[in-house]
This record gives sequence, C-alpha cells and structure tokens, in this order.
Amino acid sequence: MSAGAAQLCPPKLRRGVFSRRAKTTATTAFLALAAAYVLVPIYWLVVASSKTNSQLFSTPTFLPPAHLSWVSNFKDLFTYQNADFGWWLLNSFIYSSVTATLGAAVSTLCGYGLAKYSFRGRRVVFGLVVGSLMVPATALVVPLFLLEHFMGLTNTYQGVVLPLIVYPFGVYFMSIFAADAVPDNLVDSARVDGAGELRTLWQIGRPLLMPGIVTLLLLSFIGTWNNYFLPLVLLGTESRFPLTVGLSAWLSSISSVGAQPIYPEIILGSFVSVLPMLVLFPFLQKYVARGLSLGAITGE
Amino acid sequence: MAAQGAGATASLPVGVMAPNGGTTPGRRRLRTEQGRSGLMMTSPFLALFAVFFAGPLVYSIVLSLRSPLTGAYTGLFNYRTVMSNGEFWSGVVRMGYFGVVQVTVMICLAIGLALLLDSPYCRGKKVFALIYFLPYAVPGVIAAIMWGFLLEPDLDGALGVPHQLGLASGPVQPLDYRLALYAIMLIVTWEWTGYNMTILLTSLTNVPHQVIEAAKVDGASELSVAARIKLPMVRRTVMFTIMLSIIGTLQLFNEPVILNEIATIGSALTPNQIIYNTAFAFGNEELAAAQSVVLAGVTIVATVVFFGIVRRRADPFAATKVVAK
Repeated sequence: MSAGAAQLCPPKLRRGVFSRRAKTTATTAFLALAAAYVLVPIYWLVVASSKTNSQLFSTPTFLPPAHLSWVSNFKDLFTYQNADFGWWLLNSFIYSSVTATLGAAVSTLCGYGLAKYSFRGRRVVFGLVVGSLMVPATALVVPLFLLEHFMGLTNTYQGVVLPLIVYPFGVYFMSIFAADAVPDNLVDSARVDGAGELRTLWQIGRPLLMPGIVTLLLLSFIGTWNNYFLPLVLLGTESRFPLTVGLSAWLSSISSVGAQPIYPEIILGSFVSVLPMLVLFPFLQKYVARGLSLGAITGE
Repeated sequence: MAAQGAGATASLPVGVMAPNGGTTPGRRRLRTEQGRSGLMMTSPFLALFAVFFAGPLVYSIVLSLRSPLTGAYTGLFNYRTVMSNGEFWSGVVRMGYFGVVQVTVMICLAIGLALLLDSPYCRGKKVFALIYFLPYAVPGVIAAIMWGFLLEPDLDGALGVPHQLGLASGPVQPLDYRLALYAIMLIVTWEWTGYNMTILLTSLTNVPHQVIEAAKVDGASELSVAARIKLPMVRRTVMFTIMLSIIGTLQLFNEPVILNEIATIGSALTPNQIIYNTAFAFGNEELAAAQSVVLAGVTIVATVVFFGIVRRRADPFAATKVVAK
C-alpha cells in the first residue's frame, strides 16, 4: 500500500488480510508452544519423581502412575548412602546464602564507594572491575584450584565461598545503581550533621540501595546454587558437595557395573533441587530481571 | 562551605574524576578524608579480588610457562603443544559450529518471543514472560539430567513411537554420539532463550511510545513497526546478548559432562572438558593452564571478530536510528 493511500484510509481499514482476532490467536498459539517447550521437562520431572524404578521404565512417560510413590521415594532419597542428600541440600543452602550475603555486602560497599567518592586510583579500580567482566570465569578454575591447594583451602567451605564473593558484575551494577539511587545532597547533609561515612551509608544509603541489594543477593544466590564447575574442582569429600556435584556423582554411579538402580533418587533429588527456586521465582522475577537488564543496557 | 565543596565533588557522574585540589585548606582536608573513606570502602573487594581473581589469572600465565616434567621455565613449550593439539582445536571448532547454529536459533527465538510479548496481539504477557524465564532458576546440571532422561529411549517411551508406527527401524536415539551435539543445543536453548528474551523485553519496554504511535499514525503495520522501529532500537541489546552467548558457548561444560554420564557421548567434546581432563585425569596442570589461557584468548578474539563484522554492517540501521531519535 502506498504512503498516500495509507494516509487517506482510517487505520482500522488498513490492517492486512487477517483480522486482529486471527493475529491474536496465532500469537497466543505460538507463545503457548514455546511455553510447552519450557514446561514439558519440568512437568515430566514432577510426574517421574512419583514413580518407582520399574514404573519409570514401564509406565507411559508423561502420565502419573496409578499409585504415587513420593513418600517412599523421599525416604530413599534422604537415607541412600549415609544420607548424603540431606547434607548436599544443606551445603547448597550454606554456600549460596553465605556467598550471596558477603558478596552483596562487599559489592555494595565497593560500588557505593566508586559512585559517591572521588579518590586517587578510582579510575583504576573501575577499570579493573569492567575489565574482569570480560574474563571467562571458567578459565580461572584450574589455577584457582592450584592456588587454593597451596593455601590449604581446597575441600573447605571457605574455599568455595571466598572466590564466589568476588563478583565484579555486582560492583559494576551497584556503582551504577548507587549513583542514581542516593542523592548527593542527602549524603552531604548527613555529613553536616556529623555522621561518619560508614554511618551515612548504613542509615541514609542502605534504605535507598535496598532494591539493588536485593537484586544482587538474588543473582549471587542463584548463581552459586546453580554452580557446578567450581565446587566440582575444589571439593573432594562427598559430605561437602552441593546438590549439583552430589547428583552428578550419583549419576555417574549408575553407569558403573553392578550399580543400584537409583533413578528415582536422582529424579526426585533433581526435583527437590529446583523446587524452592521455582516456587519463589514469581515473586523474585522482577528483581532478577532488573539486574540482568541494567547490565545489558549500560553494557552497550 | 566546606560541605558545599564536597557536594560539588560527589555529584560528578561515575567514571569522571574530580578536578584536582580544593582552594581552601578545609576543602583539601575534607577531600583527603573522603578519598580515604572511598578507598576504604573498595578495599574488601580489592583484597579478595587480588587473591581469588587476579591471583589465579597471573598464576595460570606463570604456570603455563613451566615444564610439566621438571617445573622449570620452558618458554612457550606448552603453547606449542596446545597449538598442535588436534583434540583441543577440534573442540574449539565444534563450539564454533555449535555457536553459529545454536546462538542463531536461540537469539532469533528470543527476539521473536520478546516482540510478540510486546505486541498488541499478546494475551497473558506476564504469565508467558514468567514461564520463559523459569529455566534461569534451574541449574544447568539439573536441566541436563531432565533432558538427558527425556532423550533416553529406555526412560522415554515417546521416542519409540516412530518405530511403532513403522517410520523408523528402532527408537529415536537423540543421545547417539552423532546427534549428541544437537541434543546439547536443545538443552542450552531451553536454558537460555528466556534469559535473553527477558533482557530484550526490558529493552523493548524502554522504546519511547511516541515513536511507535507516530509510525502507526503514518500507517505502519505492527510488523513493520516491529521490524523497522523496535528491532533497530534494541539492536545494541541484541548485540550484547549475542556476545554473552558466544562467551557462554566457548565455556560449555556442565551439559556435555552430565549427558556423558547418561549415554556415552564422549568426554572431550568441549574445550573446557578437555582442560578439565588435562588437569585432573592426566595431571598435566601446566598444559591445562596454557589451554585455559588460549581458550580465554580465543573467547576474546571471537568477541572482537563478531563486533568487527557487525560494525561493518551497521550502516543500514543508521538511517532508522536518526529517524527514531
């Protein structure tokens, strides 16, 4: 349609051959198809976690069994092999919450310092932070293992947590967030009133920075909970494994000769590993999304 | 008065240094005090960064220059070994192929979904956006376990359906070593499409309404608004997601490792698997360090080359950008 004709016709008459309703239906159908791609494996995980080992191989893949075995599977999951799974769950929680808390604290302090103070070397620090965003994290894992070996940190909780506290994206994020969220005149008036710099940050800055801190806590928590490579390399004792490393150890025991068929334990264990986050995600989504997109938009 | 001076200093935007020195002794004293506080606030991060980030980085370079046998300095010996290591480079090439296919599919899908969610034809935007983003909360290991079992004919009867219908000579075997790379693509796409879509959707919501309204008044269809206004305006965000995906692809580790436990697909498909094997199966930490450094280099080169290609083709968008502004 030419531009001239388009200007003459009222908008409603110009829409193509398909009605608005047809377009809405087609759009919804496509979106639903994509949603099915996401949801099918999660649905399968829920259904399969209720099956016994033989049912996993004999009943229809996507249908629940006649008799649900969740209770007995739960018992097996938490008692199999010295009840390791309970420890893994606890460990994942410890690694993630400690890393998130300390990582958010360190990153917030540094980001706020970079945003609100001018000092010699500030540009260098900022350059280091941005530069390290480009370094692929897994390239550091093998040398990190060797360094921690010297320091006696391998196979310890600190050994896993300390490197993960170093969160350059968190610093970068917070320096941008703090520059906007904390007005300078508020900081100045606190100074005039005689408050120390740290007290100003705690009493004036913290409430304003809270949404950003929540975002950092979540990104760091999820990142640590999902991490596999780093704890796999650093840890040797099964009772210190997080869920990801523990479940992969169970998985590799399946393929060994004369192994017990522990498919139900692995499947239910996987379900338990994702359940807390999936339940909380609808409430946390907006904080996480903000963190990701602030990185993207300012990363331009 | 001194406080006012300090205010002027602090209100400088991030990344811009304050002009040097105050005029009165009071100001100068305040500036050094403040500078000390600022440095103090960054110090916990800097200390940890030095030990756990810069430390391993420097150490990997030092280590890569040492002999695996004697520990003595051997110059570029390990790097020559890496350069002539066919397995390592076929891993890199495999990831190149993986990136071209999977990243293209994933980013197109993410753009498509984001544009559809942003269109007036979308119902239930919030629910769909949440569903697509869910895999971000699922560890890669768990995603690989779920999909691995679903792609295994013994556990997933649906894979036998084509056979039962007489369309195949046996159950479909997506974890056959010839198809395993595509199985990994399916899983990685599942994990990261929604993540990229979320970033793009936020960027799309920032496109000014007036621009879109103006185009519609001029008679532009939804499709041309999407293709000619929305897409060019989030072009840089698209580039950002592609860059993250290239880096992620070259670092692939969790999914192939887990799938290899479910069906034997090979333990040296990706560069990171090979580095892991070199260090821990063969105990050659020096060579592994050199491989890590080379992989980091390849990642940087891949990113730079990608932006080089994009920048050269950037012109067609320039006109729309001016109009959009």
